[in-house]
Amino acid sequence: MPQSDMKTADLSITYDAIVVGSGAAGGMAAHVLTTHGMQVLLLEAGKKLPIEKELKSMEWPYEHPRRGAMPPDSHALRYNEYNIRQPPYAKGVNAKHVYSYVQSWGSSDYSKNIVVDEKDHPYTGTQYAWVRARALGGKTNIWGRLALRLSDYDFKAASHDGYGEDWPISYADIEPYYDLVDRYLGISGHKENLPYLPDSIFQRSTRLNASEVMLREKLARMDRVLTPYRAGVTTDGLKHNKYRSRCYGRGACGRRAGGCDIHAAFDSPTGLIYPAMDTGNLTLRTNSTVREVLVDKDTGKARGVAFTDTETGKSYEAKAKLVVLGASTLESARLLLLSKSRQYPNGLANSSGHVGHNFCEHIMGPSITGLVKDQVGRPRTLDDGRPDGFYVPRFRNLKEKNPNFIRAYGFEGDSGAHIFPGHANDTPGFGAGFKKTVRDQAGAFISMGAFGEVLSRYENYVDIDPLVKDRWGIPVLRFHYKFGDNEHKMAADMADSAREMFEQAGIEIVKLDRTVLTEGWSIHELGTSRMGTDPKKSVLNQFQQAHDVPNLMVVDGSSHVSASCQNPTWTIMALCWRSCDHIADAMKKGEV
Amino acid sequence: MERRELLKIAAVAATAGRLVEAQGQHKFFSAEEFAAVDELMEIIIPTDDHSPGARAAQCAAYVDERLAEEPDAKVKDSWRAGIKRVDELSKSMNGEPFMAATPAGQTAVVERMSTQEKFFGLVKEATIHAYYTSKIGIHQEMEYKGNVLLNQFVGTELPS
Repeated sequence: MPQSDMKTADLSITYDAIVVGSGAAGGMAAHVLTTHGMQVLLLEAGKKLPIEKELKSMEWPYEHPRRGAMPPDSHALRYNEYNIRQPPYAKGVNAKHVYSYVQSWGSSDYSKNIVVDEKDHPYTGTQYAWVRARALGGKTNIWGRLALRLSDYDFKAASHDGYGEDWPISYADIEPYYDLVDRYLGISGHKENLPYLPDSIFQRSTRLNASEVMLREKLARMDRVLTPYRAGVTTDGLKHNKYRSRCYGRGACGRRAGGCDIHAAFDSPTGLIYPAMDTGNLTLRTNSTVREVLVDKDTGKARGVAFTDTETGKSYEAKAKLVVLGASTLESARLLLLSKSRQYPNGLANSSGHVGHNFCEHIMGPSITGLVKDQVGRPRTLDDGRPDGFYVPRFRNLKEKNPNFIRAYGFEGDSGAHIFPGHANDTPGFGAGFKKTVRDQAGAFISMGAFGEVLSRYENYVDIDPLVKDRWGIPVLRFHYKFGDNEHKMAADMADSAREMFEQAGIEIVKLDRTVLTEGWSIHELGTSRMGTDPKKSVLNQFQQAHDVPNLMVVDGSSHVSASCQNPTWTIMALCWRSCDHIADAMKKGEV
Repeated sequence: MERRELLKIAAVAATAGRLVEAQGQHKFFSAEEFAAVDELMEIIIPTDDHSPGARAAQCAAYVDERLAEEPDAKVKDSWRAGIKRVDELSKSMNGEPFMAATPAGQTAVVERMSTQEKFFGLVKEATIHAYYTSKIGIHQEMEYKGNVLLNQFVGTELPS
């Protein structure tokens, strides 16, 4: 962190902009606005962590007292708990700290300070596996790194199949900004020339192993594509960024939730925020939990924010000409709904009644694991020294129309040897034979799991719980959210098509899981303040400005009109860049 | 006596001395319980011609430490009760306690456990976790190649 440039927040002045949240969206807003010469105050609810000391990416399991696991007084919620119990999930759990399910993955001790303690951050309503990170950089500290573009198959999906709303932009509008994000942050991948999954400006691709090359060839005969994982990772390095190293394929990415202590994988602090500080235009205040957007009584415009110091509990106000929310899809919606006033009795920017609604994401769960017989007993290769294995883009509802569901899904997958042979737990028996089987089969498994579009529906929404408050006394979100018929039919097809592909490839299927995971599991929540041209049916315009309040923007996943089936982070950043360019120009001209 | 054999005996005596010493240091298991768990784990992942097994990887000591700090009494009880049942099973099958049984008798007990005892699953899972995260498990047994700095990714480069 550029200590010399650290500024103390001055709450007596009016900043050009306040940005709330320091993840992909907030970090990008800080980067773009400071580049335009604007004085920006960035508020983050969590701490600034000594992240390299937290992540210790190259520590061996046996160098850690619990082989990477959290202390025994900490509990990670399990699938059954999400489905048998109702939120707030930490209620009644006899542990000092309770975390979301991501802390049940291996090596959870390295991410426990990044994610929130559910005891401090309750929510209510329908079952939902909500994963939150409160720390400088938010979820970019631990994200899965799959960095995909959307296309007009997504932006104009409503015109294609008649469901929902088109986005107020097309691919041509956002393409130059995807290019900017690619160049500024670095992305690894292989060109495929697919109209429904546009290529990025790729740095050196990771490589496929023998099983993956075989599956790629077999899928090509089915007119399907398997491409190396498109990762938001700089594999060739970035000359303009002194805080990040290129990827050295060390293998620590296999630790999920992992993080990257050399910052080859994009994270918002080193990718966006530290360079923004170096412009001299950024002031960062961590431990600042924003609880309300303040409005001017006369003009109805945003005038700043009210926040609570996360550690001391003291209240403060900060002033700015522009307020930019990037607190995450659900937290930004919460903030708008909490910002009630005489002018805005339903919450800010909510004359349409759509804030919190049209909440969508990705459905996941169906997955497959197979054994590639040719690979059994082969000498060990290094297969986990890369951000992840491969991606199989969507293939449904492109040329043909599926009779059972609209929209589509893609698969993320991986194969080969890993530092921990997870298949040992599924290998029967014991003794020398067991040991040899585990050893011989270590590089021979291939698996993949699907992520599918959840339709944007007005009926899926969040609102403010009238009774429950968080540790800081701020009312919490209440969920009203369920997967629907289209999602369940799609999920059934995920499992069927996975089986079909493995059978065609001659892979012996050892596990086919048809279970749909709890709502929220994909950590891709979207849509709660969607963009649109009609202020009666949308919250934001195409530049993510509130229809009702032109100097208020929401630049995170809230603005997405539909979920598509591609992971959202790269689109969040490209859209944010475009909107911030627009607002900076408008402010220079005195239009806002 | 050959010098080589003398050295061997000295080494065995030293090891035994260390074992006795170590037994006094268990944090959760009694000496008898520890010996049984250590034996069970070595039967599940034994030393073979490829690499040392669970005993050399000190899997039982790892489990002992984890159980000592385990807050859930039910988990602790299931280990204690499970070890007792192993002895009972051995008495009914071999006519003597598990540690007194012959290697073949012990294997027969584990074989039986693997078909009907929940405790077997518990021990097997713990052995797998402790062994494959140990130095021996990662480097000698699995010959893991990662966690190093690479200049180029491993695998096949696709034609552009």
